[in-house]
Amino acid sequence: MATETHPETATACWSCGQGAESAHFCASCRKVQPAVPMDFFRFFGLERKLNLDLAALEKEFYRLSRKLHPDLYARASSEEQGWSLVKSSQLNDAYRALKDPVARTQYLLELEGVKLEEQSSAATLAARESGAEKKQVVPPELLEEVFELNMQLQELRMGKQMGEEDPEVITGLRAAKSKFEAMLEGITGELKILWNAWDAALDSEERTGVRDRLVALLNRRSYVRNLVRDVNDALEA
Amino acid sequence: MAYSDKVLDHYTHPRNVGTLDKSSTDVGTGLVGAPECGDVMRLQIKVNPATQVIEDAKFKTFGCGSAIASSSLATEWIKGKKVAEALAIRNTDIVKELALPPVKIHCSVLAEDAIRAAIGDWKKKHGAEAPVENTAEVKA
Repeated sequence: MATETHPETATACWSCGQGAESAHFCASCRKVQPAVPMDFFRFFGLERKLNLDLAALEKEFYRLSRKLHPDLYARASSEEQGWSLVKSSQLNDAYRALKDPVARTQYLLELEGVKLEEQSSAATLAARESGAEKKQVVPPELLEEVFELNMQLQELRMGKQMGEEDPEVITGLRAAKSKFEAMLEGITGELKILWNAWDAALDSEERTGVRDRLVALLNRRSYVRNLVRDVNDALEA
Repeated sequence: MAYSDKVLDHYTHPRNVGTLDKSSTDVGTGLVGAPECGDVMRLQIKVNPATQVIEDAKFKTFGCGSAIASSSLATEWIKGKKVAEALAIRNTDIVKELALPPVKIHCSVLAEDAIRAAIGDWKKKHGAEAPVENTAEVKA
């Protein structure tokens, strides 16, 4: 795992006054440093890259969990107690967001200014202003496909409700399940390719291109994820 | 999350679920999606060419209760309205009527989009305001 030192943000340690401060502990006197808002990558001393060493991340998470644990600060100043509390909670949020491949990608996009939750509303506002038809954030072919798949899924589900354990319906549902799961797996594969492209991107123009492809892929993924969820529900119902 | 009574009513008794003939020149079809939650909504209108009144509206939505309720309410509202009046419906009207919580506002946005998309498709069939870009749009 990367070093804890961030020369670009180094300020004097609040306690000993030495300059070499890491994100969490003073390199000289080892005291916990003030809790300041920082992004999750920085919290772990990482660059904003999407490929990361999960084993090393986990190790660092446990190391920091121990070192920041509020119990260790029971006899420290009230400021230090507060910082250890805040940092412990930041640590948990950061670890949760970074360890999961999709959450990590979403988080990075958020840092890059993409608001996945608001993209649809933003396009609606634009359409209202111009009076034109709204530009859909996902391609129409994908919507057609998802709509069709949902129709088929509903038919299979209704068949299951009516004819109880009709073997043909179950076979159909299982086939749909394999198909959707394969689609989801394909998306995971594409995600890794885009991670590599992001990590290798040299300038902001290149990064913008990769960012937009990541957004499109995650949008597609939320549809496929729902299909997987629904077909599983149907099989278990 | 607790749904409001109106959402529950539309969800358990959705109005106007179904399909209109996509190929008819009087029918406009809008297919829209909210990638945030993976919902997809199809809304269709049948317009009287002489009066410009929306005589029938049907929808089919795959999504959460709020998305289904929003589209059900949207079809109820646009039926009997003129095309221009239907275009004036705002997602905030739907939010108010259904008492949607903030996390479900995008469902109402989807319904507004669907109305606009269906009307856009119908207008295109009549040669008016054909969008210049996006010639790959789904037609009849």
